[in-house]
Amino acid sequence: MTNITQTIVRKLKPADINRPLAAYRLVQFAILISLFWKWRFFLEANLIYATIPVGDPFFPDWLRSIDTLRIAFWTLAAATAISLTSPMNWLRQLCSWLGLFAAGVMCIHQGSYNDVTFVTIWWCCLWSVWLAHRLGKCHRENLVRRAAFLSRLIISLILLGGAAGKWTAEYWSGEVLYDIYFVDRDFWIFNHLREKYAADELQEIAKWYSRQVVLVETVSGIGLWALPARWAAALGVIILSGVVVLSNWYLVSVIACLLGLACAGFFVPRRSR
Amino acid sequence: MADTDDTPVQTENQTRDLGFNVIVGFIVLIAGWLLLMPWMPNLAKHSLERFHLRTPSFAIWAGQFPIPAMYNFANQYKIDEFPPGFVMMVLDENWRYANHFPARVITFFAGRHDFLASKNDRWFTLRSSYRGQMLESKFHLEARAEGGYDLIRIDGDGESL
Repeated sequence: MTNITQTIVRKLKPADINRPLAAYRLVQFAILISLFWKWRFFLEANLIYATIPVGDPFFPDWLRSIDTLRIAFWTLAAATAISLTSPMNWLRQLCSWLGLFAAGVMCIHQGSYNDVTFVTIWWCCLWSVWLAHRLGKCHRENLVRRAAFLSRLIISLILLGGAAGKWTAEYWSGEVLYDIYFVDRDFWIFNHLREKYAADELQEIAKWYSRQVVLVETVSGIGLWALPARWAAALGVIILSGVVVLSNWYLVSVIACLLGLACAGFFVPRRSR
Repeated sequence: MADTDDTPVQTENQTRDLGFNVIVGFIVLIAGWLLLMPWMPNLAKHSLERFHLRTPSFAIWAGQFPIPAMYNFANQYKIDEFPPGFVMMVLDENWRYANHFPARVITFFAGRHDFLASKNDRWFTLRSSYRGQMLESKFHLEARAEGGYDLIRIDGDGESL
């Protein structure tokens, strides 16, 4: 083999890809999807918050201010975009910290604390801060294995958080999800079921739908992190996509960044036999 | 443009990865909290209070934000145009379920628009239950002359935890 051929082959070998950096960038891209998926929704919220302020003394003034919300949102967006594109590691580190801080502000602001989008983004930002500080300092294969482990640990925790609060009779009977989704939610699966089944049959379907949610979240919350990287990544993508497809398109904003995080597992190279 | 860390494998110092260990420890701590919540009523009580924005201090409430809580607890709400006790029999049918952080029904986006665009006072009741514990909270949303609302807690002693 000539030198040129050897060089080309070496360049094309998957081992030469900077896998940790690729995983890092994929997660930044996924965070941006999460942030902008509900862009129209945020625009409308911005208008509503400005015209109907609600004074609640529980929140400090600055965490009720719409200006804080705007600044935090754009800081998060800009920091993530820079993290995605920057070739300089110090800038990635700085922007990852900025993103983490801005996401944290959104998690405790009166206008956004309840939106789980910002909690899942915050966890992805925490992962990004850690990885940004390790890039270039560790053996790449070991680093991507650690990154994948941390990613599935975070996804497990978030699913466990959903499960633990549902270990209660009202979810096991399907009563809660029946009222939230089956009664009047405008989404393809619920519209279809309402057309096809009577109210008592819908309640029975809601019961099994709810039990399926509780069981999937419980099993994956407890066990996903313990699976091998690629299996966990594949299963994570299936479960998280299922949450969106069977519930509500708005959930893409909550789930997209977690899908990016789950995909970190696909960057773990197969061990040579 | 080449990345600054595009260099080949560098010095191995995985063993000093303090950040990794801290994050794993943090996750284990939260997982422990979640796994114990069904069996320790005090933990569930804190979480229910968190959902109703009734944690004793804002700092403690804010410190709990990393604990994931999607669709937790059976949260019900109702919104009345009259103060508690007034025409109660007629409006008692209006309970609906909310997924998480039910107090957001009146402050978040569409809820704020749907319930508070009228510029009239509103009374808002929340009820969350979890494995035999129940927390009820009442709020008065008082319309301001200059626009917007003041949220006044009228919780009283109706909570059973």
